[in-house]
Amino acid sequence: MVSNTKEVKALDFDVTRSAEEERKLAFKDELCIGCGICEKVCPVEAIELGDIGAIVRTDADVSKICVDENKCVLCGMCSVGCPVDALEFTIDGESISDMDAYPQYLSSAEIDDETCIYCKACETACPREAITIARELPERAKLVTGEIEIDKDICINCGICEEMCPADAITMDSKIPTSADPTVASDINVDKDKCVYCLICKKSCPVDAIMAACRSCSYGEYDLDPADSEITGSSFIDDDLCVRCGWCEEICPVDAAKVKKPFKGELTVDEDKCTTCGACVDICPCDVLSFPQPEEVGQIVEKVYKDEKYCIYCGACANVCPVEAIEVKRTDVDYTPTKSKSWKNKMESLKT
Amino acid sequence: MELKVEQDNCLGCGVCVVACPVNVSISPEVAGGHGSKTEEVIMMVENGVIKLFSPEKCTKCGTCQMFCPTDAIWLE
Repeated sequence: MVSNTKEVKALDFDVTRSAEEERKLAFKDELCIGCGICEKVCPVEAIELGDIGAIVRTDADVSKICVDENKCVLCGMCSVGCPVDALEFTIDGESISDMDAYPQYLSSAEIDDETCIYCKACETACPREAITIARELPERAKLVTGEIEIDKDICINCGICEEMCPADAITMDSKIPTSADPTVASDINVDKDKCVYCLICKKSCPVDAIMAACRSCSYGEYDLDPADSEITGSSFIDDDLCVRCGWCEEICPVDAAKVKKPFKGELTVDEDKCTTCGACVDICPCDVLSFPQPEEVGQIVEKVYKDEKYCIYCGACANVCPVEAIEVKRTDVDYTPTKSKSWKNKMESLKT
Repeated sequence: MELKVEQDNCLGCGVCVVACPVNVSISPEVAGGHGSKTEEVIMMVENGVIKLFSPEKCTKCGTCQMFCPTDAIWLE
């Protein structure tokens, strides 16, 4: 008789059955958001969602879900239901997410590099740290034009210009004076690639030894090539980490990011029941929930603030709420068509 | 996971009793720091130390553990 085997690797695990074809379910704990959809769709009740509130908040060394390998029939339904990539199901090494026979969520996140101005707002806002923006900045020297010269005969080597220079363009080679050479510095120089012609050195020099002029502000614009000030770069979204929350799309100032979410729905918080324990705020993979700060003393604010723009309706917050103050309704599930009626029924059952 | 207490670590401050969302819904006065009127709550301070009364009601949200200053209450 062929039976399932389970290999546990720290918090991750694989459940495998090898017969004519090898079927394998692999769980990646760090990607799991604790939504519990796998537990709901499993036809044989083989999956148990752990105490994710405690696991996430106390950083416990416990896997977020548990699969009973003796109950699991390796059907792959949990993998299709998982809105992130925490459960991967493969048949003979090929992921069912690449097979047309199995339904997939229709969801995506993209950044158009042609439109992107590489401001990094999305990288900073992304709650999953899934976005990396690499950018190449123009050379500072190519954005300014001017002239600067230190008259070394007048210079008393006081070092004030070196200390004041905001661009660290001036270096003075200090030395101990000797009777043979009674000076305090051997040389002083301006690095013209670093100088921004701000004229602070000229204004602060006590003996007027510096002659400097900025041409950027006046006719010198003609000296500058606009192409030299161009910022180039590239964006990258880690598909494994991305949960399609839409933060990048919302925060992007130039509409370069586009996100398609798999679910539509409704999130309600019962203010009367809420005790502000913060479990939902901590578990939410999309930073939908936060505690509002009163703007003035004595102002009464909502207990928990929510912005559904970022919500993926995964239901993790409702799972952890100890007092059942949160309700997450899924009204629409967008997935690729499948011929199998049972699979279709399962996908439709995600609507609540 | 299971709710555990170590009375030797407890200072009896009662922060867990007040912070516990389940306690508040069972006995609303604990939110004001008045102490519970009923033993139906999950935990209470008795004789200066924490004691579990109805740990089976715990939903494992981890709030008590986050607020306890002395690691006297935790989920394991």
